[in-house]
Amino acid sequence: MSLPSSSQAVFEAGPSTPSRKRSRWEPHEALHDDAEMNEPQPPLKRRSKSKGTSLSDPRSQAVTPEPRSQIRVVVERQRPRHSIYVPPRTHHPPLTPSRSVYSYERLNSIEEGSYGVVFRARDKETGDIVALKKLKLDDEKHGFPITALREVNALMVCQHENVVGIREVVVGETLTQVFIVMDFIEHDLKTLLTVMPAPFLQSEIKTLLKQLLSAVAFCHERWILHRDLKTSNLLMNNRGQIKVADFGLARRYGDPVGVGGLTQLVVTLWYRAPEILLGATTYSTAVDMWSVGCIFAELLLKEPLFQAKGEIEMLSMIFKLLGPPTTTTWPDYSLLPLANTINLPAPHPSQLRQRFPHISVAGIDLISRMLAYDPEDRISAEEALQHPYFRESPFPKHPDLFGSFPSVAAGEKRRKHPDSPHAPVRAADYKLLTEFDAP
Amino acid sequence: MSVPLYPLASLEQIEETPSLKDGIPYDLEEDLRAYGCKLIHQAGILLKQKQVAVATAQILFQRFWFVTSMKQFGIGDVGMGALYLASKLEECPIRMRDLINVYDLLLQQATHSSTSKLVSQSKHAVFKYTPMSYFGSTFYDLKDALVVAEMQILKRLGFHVNVVLPYGTLVNYLRVLGLTSKETVCSRAWGYLNDALQTPVYALYAVPTIVCAAILLATRHLGIPLPSTPPNCWWELFDADWEDVWSVCGHVMRLYRERDASDQTRLLSMVSKKGVRKWLDDHAVLN
Ligand SMILES: Nc1ncnc2c1ncn2[C@@H]1O[C@H](COP(=O)(O)OP(=O)(O)OP(=O)(O)O)[C@@H](O)[C@H]1O
Ligand SMILES: [Mg+2]
Repeated sequence: MSLPSSSQAVFEAGPSTPSRKRSRWEPHEALHDDAEMNEPQPPLKRRSKSKGTSLSDPRSQAVTPEPRSQIRVVVERQRPRHSIYVPPRTHHPPLTPSRSVYSYERLNSIEEGSYGVVFRARDKETGDIVALKKLKLDDEKHGFPITALREVNALMVCQHENVVGIREVVVGETLTQVFIVMDFIEHDLKTLLTVMPAPFLQSEIKTLLKQLLSAVAFCHERWILHRDLKTSNLLMNNRGQIKVADFGLARRYGDPVGVGGLTQLVVTLWYRAPEILLGATTYSTAVDMWSVGCIFAELLLKEPLFQAKGEIEMLSMIFKLLGPPTTTTWPDYSLLPLANTINLPAPHPSQLRQRFPHISVAGIDLISRMLAYDPEDRISAEEALQHPYFRESPFPKHPDLFGSFPSVAAGEKRRKHPDSPHAPVRAADYKLLTEFDAP
Repeated sequence: MSVPLYPLASLEQIEETPSLKDGIPYDLEEDLRAYGCKLIHQAGILLKQKQVAVATAQILFQRFWFVTSMKQFGIGDVGMGALYLASKLEECPIRMRDLINVYDLLLQQATHSSTSKLVSQSKHAVFKYTPMSYFGSTFYDLKDALVVAEMQILKRLGFHVNVVLPYGTLVNYLRVLGLTSKETVCSRAWGYLNDALQTPVYALYAVPTIVCAAILLATRHLGIPLPSTPPNCWWELFDADWEDVWSVCGHVMRLYRERDASDQTRLLSMVSKKGVRKWLDDHAVLN
């Protein structure tokens, strides 16, 4: 530490306990502040003088005129306006302990995920319906699990209209009960895709994809990798809005990667980028973009693009669809740890067009840019948002024009059969909307 | 789209800290905070931990005492918990065992030097580390205390453990002020920012204010003039208020005041909450 040595000589300032200058922090600041702003030098002395001012009366300085008030500039000076980059102190939230989970009334359990249990609950104070995700903390030899920390932190850092909103983190009676409180979102995209009678329209897919991309771009801008993008982690409300959820595998990138690099145990197999499958231990935002490509395809197909049972099968499905990688499409392929254990199939061109016969040329281009082999070459979320696909007809549909669906998560039971009597809600919507939609 | 802001202590939390409510005088709390931060700093050096993790730990530690009394948790345990937690947050986790051992070593060392100073200056006994004492607790007790402290920090800060460090801002501001070529200003201001980590300012003021204070101290010390007459006050460029900047300077300067050996001994005896409670009992008459 470089402790400035003779600093005492420079200043004789005592600490001014912040409480002595409370008015400064109140939203409506007292006028006399302006005068102080005008006199940068005097406070040197004044501070030591006012050292003894009463702690209890925060306004004492406003009430008692300062000796210097005569030379005060009479014209009220415009206070420096805070730029958007430096919000005033009062805009910062106070330090607030976690509330108890008993602030919520438990309704129904939504789903037991691999990492925790999710409940629907009601805020006893406001009546708001929320989702509570219980973090798995038992048996932790290393204190609070780093993965849970990353999840909470990522959610807090990535607050965006297309990322599920975190409201707070509440605790139960024991140290092992910690819950993330989120806005409750009616659907997840996976369930929707399986129960919908017909696939989404092109215009709807564009809207959903745009929203997903803007959320992903936002996270990446904040140095967060999601690492588990898939349809079951994309929630959708009844206003046609996508919310990215489940940051259970998220982590910051750009951080030093420890011994052994980043873990390969990320991203559900079907959405996992080829570089991870081939053992890369340094990877970046491109892994999320691969997953986005798989999701895009799934929206078009109404079923997952690659439904492999294992990693080898997964790779061979990828190779089959896109043609095996070449030195042009993936220059660094051979450097990957597992590359030499793989037998590449005979070279053949990409089968994307055959697989997606109904999508436009721009659409095929976008999906192939998302499923580019070379991570360096793969399109970024920011770039993808600018892609011509979004600017050609049919245009992205306004989210408000999406139909609403009965929510499985809210316990509104529905039959899974596509022709069930409840499904027509959606079917009727579909008809209505196609009229506005270029085929 | 706005970035969520880091939390700062509220006026109520500043006016009457939980420790003050429990009868611990302001000055004593200030000293204990600074000492707790010093321990975190020293532990960080011994563990070869990254500076960002150490700084984050110190800021979390400072925040914690605005929501918790030192009568309830010791600065030793909370310091360990903060460093343990911050190391995870900064993606450079440390081993519990290493951390506990390092704290034990530091406290033994401090006890040794403060007693030998008190006893006699001439007969300087050589410090010899005896593994694992930390006030007689076993390793497993300490491990428990560490886990509890980490969890308590999280809970009592409502899991708002995001911290913004000031160094990038310092570099930017110096560039704006045309001071980047003056290395001494840069390193001196940097030093003040680090020293400020031993004070509560990072839990009280936004980063721009603290950075301005560091620049003010550095330039004043080196006699470098900056425009300071209205309407051209340099700190206004960075949306800082003079009073706040000045207050931060005050906090930092207080660190450098003369302290004697008895201050140090008193602090050492109060590293644990037991010590704090004993001190409170001994001084109960005064309350
Ligand atoms: N905010 C929410 N509103 C409504 N439902 C939600 C919400 N968050 C999660 N869910 C539901 O709970 C399921 C599991 O949540 P999440 O994916 O966060 O947990 P997980 O344990 O990490 O799951 P997995 O590992 O299986 O992906 C989601 O697929 C979704 O159906
Ligand atoms: Mg999930």
